[in-house]
Parts: sequence; structure tokens; C-alpha cells
Amino acid sequence: MKKIVLTMLFASIGLVAAEGEMPYAIGLKLKPQPAKIYAMECASCHGADGKQTSFSGFPSGIVYKEIAGMDEALLAKTIKEYRGGVESKDYQPLNKYGYGAAMKAPTRDLSWDEIDAVAKYISGLK
Amino acid sequence: MDKKYMDSMLSKMDKDLSKHGMSRRDAMKIAGLSGAGLFMGTSSASAEEEKIVKTDAKGKIVIVGGGLAGMSTAARLTLNLTNPDITVIEPDPNSVSYQPGQTMVAAGLWDEEDIMYKRDDFVPDGVKVIEDRAVFFNPQENKLTTEKGQVVTYDYLILAMGVQLDFERIKGLEEAGRALSSGDNEKLLDALGDSICSIYTSKGSVKTWEMMQKYIDQAKSGKKTKFVFTHPDTPIKCGGAPKKIIYLTNSRLKEAGARENAELTFYPNGGAMFGVPEYHDAIVGQFKREGIKHHYRHNLIEVDKENKIATFDAKWQEKGPWDPVMKDFEVIPKHEKLKVPYDMLHIAPAQIAPREIGESDLGSAKGWIPVNKETLQHIRYLNVFSIGDVAQVPMAKTGGSVRKQYKVLVDNLVALMNDKKMEAKYAGYTVCPLITDIGTVMLAEFDWTVKPTPSFPLDPTVERWVFWLMKAYALKPMTMYGMLSGRA
Repeated sequence: MKKIVLTMLFASIGLVAAEGEMPYAIGLKLKPQPAKIYAMECASCHGADGKQTSFSGFPSGIVYKEIAGMDEALLAKTIKEYRGGVESKDYQPLNKYGYGAAMKAPTRDLSWDEIDAVAKYISGLK
Repeated sequence: MDKKYMDSMLSKMDKDLSKHGMSRRDAMKIAGLSGAGLFMGTSSASAEEEKIVKTDAKGKIVIVGGGLAGMSTAARLTLNLTNPDITVIEPDPNSVSYQPGQTMVAAGLWDEEDIMYKRDDFVPDGVKVIEDRAVFFNPQENKLTTEKGQVVTYDYLILAMGVQLDFERIKGLEEAGRALSSGDNEKLLDALGDSICSIYTSKGSVKTWEMMQKYIDQAKSGKKTKFVFTHPDTPIKCGGAPKKIIYLTNSRLKEAGARENAELTFYPNGGAMFGVPEYHDAIVGQFKREGIKHHYRHNLIEVDKENKIATFDAKWQEKGPWDPVMKDFEVIPKHEKLKVPYDMLHIAPAQIAPREIGESDLGSAKGWIPVNKETLQHIRYLNVFSIGDVAQVPMAKTGGSVRKQYKVLVDNLVALMNDKKMEAKYAGYTVCPLITDIGTVMLAEFDWTVKPTPSFPLDPTVERWVFWLMKAYALKPMTMYGMLSGRA
């Protein structure tokens, strides 16, 4: 038993080290790493599991839906709309349920590829 | 220079010349040039070579970006250093491809093979290549990290990663992402579809030629055909290219006898055709002569691919109420969305510095790398230099600029490595061989003075066939075998 635990421990260290070698930042045309994007931009409000429905930074009483397991295509479409595409006064990004401002900042720098990847990730959260 | 290549090029040139009933020698005479002068630009290569005295200066030099600027700089450094320790970080195997030829490909004059060159054929002896992309910069510790996670340290850093083509900022083209000029660019071409083209990528220039033929045929069949051309609201590489493709389309339409059915319209974001008044006037005259329409202060912000409509942000100013304090009328800026239907749309995309630079301490707020415009040294990190399209130098982003910059950079870096004063200065020279027709070029040369600075004793605002010869036959070997070996 001890041996198995030890092996697992080493395995997980190996994994962390491998991940650590691959730095990631959003919007740099890197191969999307959706888990990191989610952790950086989404998890503080939506929770690591995608089930969080309120955020201490918002006024009390504001709640939103769980996003874990939502439809991938719908997620991608909605995030893209929140992001907006054009830096122009003529195009305002989506402001669904009043979340426009809250959703614009975390999505602004994402590429379409990154949005597609993170939508798939959220859709796969259980 | 590759002798076989020279020979084949010269025989092509002779064929072109004989069409005009002229020998090569006569052509050279007209240009007022010796053969070597025509092929090497204005200065003799051998004279420059003699001046270089190698030094023993030591230091690890890392060059980020192995395009024309980075690779020419690497080559010239090897000519200056006895023991060069130079590493180039460049992920693209075709990074040294000849971008000025993309206009020629788009007009069906050259094939794609004529402009594709392999990075590894142009790596100077003694220079190492890391096939990766530098992504995270730590200039305080003279370190950077690549996409694959490799940490690279340096004593001296040269930033030459060029620009990215920002198609994703146009509504309707978000999925195109940001592209580089070489590479397969499949995603970009898919997003553009079959009525929007751009010569700003090498594959895109091939597709532009296919599209151009299709719509010239349409015009020839008697159908009124609208060709729309854009110029964005950011600095771009080769500011002449958006106009060259208009002139080449015009030329091909005339050749096909289809010009009267075609409407060519240029929507530039700026309020002039060229920053130098003399060249601006010349271009306006050319547009008038050729019946090409233009509307200033229009920036492309949206495309509707299905209905073939381009939306521009159109800007103008109106006279406002009297201001009793300033004793003048106020000026009120106005703008509105303008929808323009097209058959073929040519996009010159907005261009930005790679975002990793803007996010690091090396970039300015807009991403460009702030350098002294004359010495090319970074304004904060004195062991860092920048050259080419990504450098914040208020001058055209062209290979012609790089041709003057890389020698300045190398002289200054070698001086710095030897603890000497940096004395070389970039005088702001650049050149735009503006193709005005198949067979004529206006050679627009200028510098910080914003005045024409012609290399030849000829009126620089006149379109000349002899400059076409230079563009079509001489500039590529000068670039590929002269600059990339650090000599021209």
C-alpha cells in the first residue's frame, strides 16, 4: 500500500513538473491550455468545479447558474458574444442579465481558439 | 551569390528587355548604373566588406526572430566577431521567405516557389537556431522562456520578431485569429472565404491571384464588378502594398479588356496617400489617370461574407458653434458606419506587435519596442536592441528600412561589447518601390526629413520601367544573397 501511494506521489510530481515547464499566458497564440485558462479567468466566480453560483465580490443576493456541463456550442457562442470582437464604439459586447462588464474583462484577451477550448473544458466539468 | 540563380534571372531579364527592343547594357545605361550597382543597390558591396575589422569582443547574443532583419543581423555579426556566440530563436522553417514578392505572386507574375526560402539555408556559419518561439521575457535577469519551456539566458538581446496580422479584430472574421505572413494559414484563408483576399500572407497572395482572375473574368463577361481595397488604422509593413495590389488589379483588368466593367475603390483609414507630399501628389495623379476612386478616413470594421458587404467606420469633421474664447468655430469630429457592397474585397489587415512583448517590460503600452530611433538601443535595457517591424521607429516597416538598420545595429552592438561609444545612426532611410503597373515602378525613397531622397539622378516621382526591372529582377537577389549574408 505504502509503495502504491509513493508511486502515485511521484507520478503526480512528474505531472506538475511537466506542466510547470510549459508556461502559459492568454492571447499569445499558444496552443490553448483550457484548464489553465479556466483557473486564471473563470474559477474565481464559477468555482474550480463550475458549480459556484455566487461571488463575494458581487452585491449580496446576486446569483447565477452553474456552468459545469453546459452545452459546449452554447458556451462557446455566449463567451464569444461576451468578449465582443471589435474595439469600436459601434459594437457593444453582450450584456446578458447585466453581466456584460463582469464577463468582458476575463474574456477580452481570449482568442476564438482559446474560447472553443475552454467551452469544451467547462462542458466536460462534472 | 548563387551563380546559377543569377544566370537564370538574367536570361529572364534579357527576354523581358528584348520585348522592348533593348539589350541589357542599354538598360543599365538608362538607369545610369553599373551592373553591380543595379544588383547591389546603391553602394558597392566589396567596398563595405573591406571596412570590417573583426574584434575579439565576447558575449552571448540572442536574436528573437529569424526573419530578414534577425537573420541579416546574425550574418553581419559573424563578419564582425572573431568568436561569435549567436543564437537565433525562430519557429518558422520558412521565416526568410521573400515577402516583397507577395505582390508579384498576387498578380500572377511569380509563382509561390519564387518567394519561398528555407530558414536553414540562410543560417550563417557559427549561428545556432532554436526552433521555438520566445514567449516570456525577463529582462531584469537577462532571461527568456520559450513556448516549449526552454529558458534561454543572454548577455545581449536583439528583438526582431516582426508583426502579427490582426484579422480577428474585424467583426465577421474573428475566427481568422492573428496570422503571420508565412506558414499554412489555413484557418485564415478558410475564414476569409472566396471573395475576400489579402496579399499579406504568402498563401494569401496565391489565393489573391486565383480570386483576381475569377473576378476579372466576371467583369469581362459584361457584369459590373466592384473591387474594394482597404488600409487599416495601425502601422503596417510595406505601406505601399495596399496600393500596389490596386494597380496590379487595374493592370490585369486592362490587359483582359475588362476595365470598363470594373469599379476600383480604395478606402484608406488615413487622410493621405503617402507621408511624403511629393509622392502623395504623384499617387493622387496616378489614381486620377487610371480612374481609381478613393475615400479617405475609412477604417474597415466588419464584413458580411454572405451578402458581400464591407462596413467601414467613416470619419469626418463638422464646423461647430462659435467659441468666443478661442475666437474660432469649434471642430466637431463625427463618424458613422458606412456599408459598401463588394464583389472582391482586398484587406490590408491591422498589424500589431506580438502581445507577449506588450505584456513584458520590454514593450511599450501599444506593444512596440521603444528604442532610440537612431541607435536602435532599447530606451531602458541597454543590452537590448530592436530592429525591423517590431521596433518603435517612426519610419516605414519595410525590408528597405531594415537594409539600413541592421548595419547600424551591428556597429552599435559591437561598439557596446567593446565598451566604446555607439556612433552609428539610422538616418531614417526607407524605400518603397511602388508598382504602378505591370512594367512600371515609382521608386519612393525618403528619410527623417520626409523629403524624397533619390539614389539616382532622376525625378523620383516619375514611374519608370527601369525601376520595374530593379523590382522584378534585382531586389530579390540583393535581399536573399546580399542582405542575408550580411553584406548588402
